[in-house]
Amino acid sequence: MTRYIIRRLLYLIPVLLGVSLIIFVLFNVVAGDPTAVLLGKNATPRQMQELREQLGLNKPLFAQYLDVVRSAFTFDFGRSWSSKQEISQMLRQGAYPSLCLTIPAFVISTVLSLVISLGVAFYRGKGIDLFVRFCCIAGMSVSALAYILFFQYFFAFKLGWFEISGFEFGFPDFVPFIALPAIIWIVLSIGPDVRFFRTVILDEIYQDYVRTARAKGLSEMHILLKHVLRNAMIPIITYVVIQIPFLILGALLLENFFSIPGLGGITLNALNSSDFPVIKAMAILSSVVYIVFSLISDILYTFADPRVKLK
Amino acid sequence: MKSLMPVLVGLVLLTIGCSKERNFDERELHLISPEKIAGFDPIHGSDLYSANEMGKVYEGLYEFHPFKRPYELVPNLAESLPNVSADGLTYTFVVKKGVLFRDSPVFKDGLGRELSADDVLYTLKRLADPKLQAKGWWLLDDRILGLNEWREKNAPLEASNYDEVIEGLKKIDGYTLQIKLKKPYPQFLYALAMNYTFIVAKEAVEHYGKEFLNYPVGTGPFLLDKFEQSNKIVYIKNPKFREKLFPSEGEEGDEKQGLFADAGKKIPLVDKIIVDIQVESQPKWLLFHKAKADLLEIPKDNFDQAVVGGADLAPELKGKGIRLIKNPMLDVTFFAFNHEDPLFKNVKLRQAMSLAWDRGEANKLFYNNTAIEAQSVIPPGLGGYRKEFKNPFVKLDLELAKKLLAEAGYPNGKGLPEITIQTRNDTISRNTIEHFSKCMNKIGVKVKIGVNTWPELVNKVTKKQHQMYTMAWGADYPDAENFLGLLFCPNQSPGSNGSNYCNPAFDELFRQSTILQDTPERSAFYEKMNEMVALDVPWIFGFNRTKFYLSHAWLKNFKYSEYTHTQFQYLNVDLEVKKELSKKF
Repeated sequence: MTRYIIRRLLYLIPVLLGVSLIIFVLFNVVAGDPTAVLLGKNATPRQMQELREQLGLNKPLFAQYLDVVRSAFTFDFGRSWSSKQEISQMLRQGAYPSLCLTIPAFVISTVLSLVISLGVAFYRGKGIDLFVRFCCIAGMSVSALAYILFFQYFFAFKLGWFEISGFEFGFPDFVPFIALPAIIWIVLSIGPDVRFFRTVILDEIYQDYVRTARAKGLSEMHILLKHVLRNAMIPIITYVVIQIPFLILGALLLENFFSIPGLGGITLNALNSSDFPVIKAMAILSSVVYIVFSLISDILYTFADPRVKLK
Repeated sequence: MKSLMPVLVGLVLLTIGCSKERNFDERELHLISPEKIAGFDPIHGSDLYSANEMGKVYEGLYEFHPFKRPYELVPNLAESLPNVSADGLTYTFVVKKGVLFRDSPVFKDGLGRELSADDVLYTLKRLADPKLQAKGWWLLDDRILGLNEWREKNAPLEASNYDEVIEGLKKIDGYTLQIKLKKPYPQFLYALAMNYTFIVAKEAVEHYGKEFLNYPVGTGPFLLDKFEQSNKIVYIKNPKFREKLFPSEGEEGDEKQGLFADAGKKIPLVDKIIVDIQVESQPKWLLFHKAKADLLEIPKDNFDQAVVGGADLAPELKGKGIRLIKNPMLDVTFFAFNHEDPLFKNVKLRQAMSLAWDRGEANKLFYNNTAIEAQSVIPPGLGGYRKEFKNPFVKLDLELAKKLLAEAGYPNGKGLPEITIQTRNDTISRNTIEHFSKCMNKIGVKVKIGVNTWPELVNKVTKKQHQMYTMAWGADYPDAENFLGLLFCPNQSPGSNGSNYCNPAFDELFRQSTILQDTPERSAFYEKMNEMVALDVPWIFGFNRTKFYLSHAWLKNFKYSEYTHTQFQYLNVDLEVKKELSKKF
C-alpha cells in the first residue's frame, strides 16, 4: 500500500504541471492584460507599462510559466495583485470560516441522508418511500437562491432565531452565524444525497446474498445495517470523499449572502479583478486537495471491502 | 424526526444564547460597506468604499465641508487655504501645530509624534514612488517640478531614495512647505483632499513594510480596532484626536433639519464604528430593518418597498421614524462609440441612434424613474452645467432618427453592419443593452450584446477592441474637468477617453480652460465644451443618477455627500431615541 500511496502522490507532479499550464494559458490568452483593472479608471499608459514590468508580465512567456510552476511546487504564492495582502494569510483566514460552515453541514447532511436512505430502503415501495422521494425531487427543483432568500428572511429576520449575516471567529461565537447557512446546506444536500444513497442501497438489497440472509432468518434491520450498508460503502465513500475538496473551497452563494468571509468569496473577488496570483493559488490548492482526497477514498475502500487491494 | 427536534431546539438556543444584545450605553455607529476592503494604504484606495474606511483613520490637508453645497474645500490638517503665487504655480502650505499621530510601536516609546511638513512631503513622494505603483499617481503625474524625474530616476533602483530633494517639494520650516507646479493645475487642492494624499508616517511605512496596509497609523478621528477584510471593521474613538469642532455653517435649510444641533462640540461624536461588509442586497435590507445598521443605501431590489412613487418614503417606514435622503449624484452613464471605428465617424448615425433610445422607458426599468436624463457630459451640480440647455439629440424621436439614419447612408438600417456593445456580465447591464437593442431595432439598427467580466471589459476598451461599450463615470472631485477629460484626445485608450474621441476644437478649449482657476471665465469655457460635444454625440448620453438612503431617526447629522470619506466623524447617535425606537424593530 505504501508504494501505491507514494505512486499516487507522485501523480501530483504531472497534475500540478498540467494545472499550471492550463491556468497560465487561460490567464494569458483569455484574461489578457490585468494592469488597467489593477490601476483603476485613471491609469496612465506609462504606469500600466511600469506595472507590467513589475509584475513580470513583460518577461518571455516561458519564464512566466516557470514562475507559475515554481509557486505551484513551493506553495509560495506571494501577494495578491489587487488587495496586496499575503495570499497564504488570505487562505488561512478564509479557510477557517469556510470550514466552520461546511464541515458540520456536510457531516450532518451525509449522516442524515444515510439514515433516511436506509429507512426508505427498508420501507421501499411503501407510502413513506414515495413521500420521501417526492420531497427530494420537490426540494431539488427549487433553486438554492430561493432557499437562501426565504430562510434568511423567515428564520433570521421574521422569527429572529438566527443571525441575519456576519461571522465571529472562535467557538462558540461563530455558531449563531453559521447555524442557518448550515441548515440551508443540509436542506440543499439531502435531496440528491438521499436519492443517490437509496439507489445504491436498493442495488444491494436485490443481491443474492441478501436473499440468502433473509432465508437464514436474519432480521431486515440486521441485513440492512450489517450486510447491505457495508457492501454499499464503496460507491458511498467515492461520492462522499470526492465532495470534501469542495468543502475547503467554501460555499460561494451561502458565504456571500451570510457575509461569511470564506474562500468562496476570495476566489470570486480574484476572478473579478484579474488577480492571477490568487486564482493560481486557488486552482493549485484545489488540485492538490482533490488528489489527496481521491487517494484517501482509495485507501478507505480497503477498509470497506477487504477484497480491494491497492497495488 | 422526534430525535431531530432536540438538536434543532439546542441549536436555536445556542444561537440565541450567543447572539449579542444591542448596546445602548455606548454611542456606536453601525454602517454597511457593500464592497470588501482591500486594506488601509491610502495610495491604493481607488474606490469610494476604501476611501470611506481610510477617512476614519487618516486625514488630508483639506476636506470637503460636510454641509456646504456646492462642495467647498476647507482646511483639515492644513492651517488654512494655501498661499498661491500670482502665476498659480507656487503653493505654500502651513500644517496645523499639535496634531498627533496615533500611539503606535512604530514611534519612540510607543507614543504618537507630532505631524510636520516632512510628513506631507514624504506622503507626496510616496504617491510618486515607482516601486509602489499607486492608483492615485495620475493626480500628480507631470504636475510637480522634478517629481516625474525623481520617479524615473528611482525606477531602476532597488529602493527609492526619499532623502533626495525635489525641486517642486520644498520644506520651509517644521510646519511649512512649498510645492511648485510645472503648469497651473487648479484641481491640485482637490487632490490634497483625496485619500491618495492622506498623510502617513514614514516610521509606520518602514516598520510594517508590506503589511503597512493592515496597520494604519494616522492622525484621524478613529483608531482601527479590528480589520477582517471581507467581514467586519471596527473603529474606536481616537482619544488623542486634536481639538476639532463641529461646524455651524452649511446650506440653507440645514439648520431646520437639525444638522447644527452639535455645532461647536468636539468631534468625533461617536465612541465606536462597526462596519459590516455586506455584498448582497437582502441581508443589507434585513439588517437595517432589524436596527443593526443605522444607514442604508437603498438596494435596487428593495426600492419599491422603501419609496412610493419614486419620491416619498413608504408609510410603514415613516411610522418607525425612518428618514429618506435622496440626492443627485455627480455622475453620468453613457454608451460610448469607438471613434476609431470608421462606422462611427458618421455623426448622423450617432445622432440617429441617440434619438432612437427611449430613455423614459429605460429610466423606469432600470432607475425606478429617479434618474435625470443627461444632456451632455457634465452632470448637474458642477460648473459648466447649464440647466436651460437641452440636447436636441437627447429625446425619443423615431421619425427624425430614421431621417438621419437615411442621411447617414443607411436607410432603414440597410447596409449597416450589426453593432456589438460591450458590457459587464451582471443582469442590469445585460438588460440595459437588451432594452437599447429593442429601441434600435425600431429604426433598423441591429445591436448585439458582448458580455464581459469587468477585467475583460476594461481590456477591450483599453486595447480599442470594441465598437461600443457602456459605462458610468463618477466625479473624482467636484470639477467638470474630471468629466470633460474623458473626451480629451490625448487621454484616448488606454487612457480614460475609452471612446477615442478626438475633436481639435474641443481639445483646444480643454487645454485653455483647465489651467484657469475656478472663475466665471472657466465656467463659460466648460459650458461651451459641454454643449459642443452634446451636438457631436461622441457618446449616447444616459443618465445622471440619484442616490437614495434610509436613515434611522437616532442617526444624527447625516447629509448626503459625494465625498463621504471624512463624513463619519460628524455623525452622532441619539441613544435615548435609539432605545425607544429599537422596540419597534
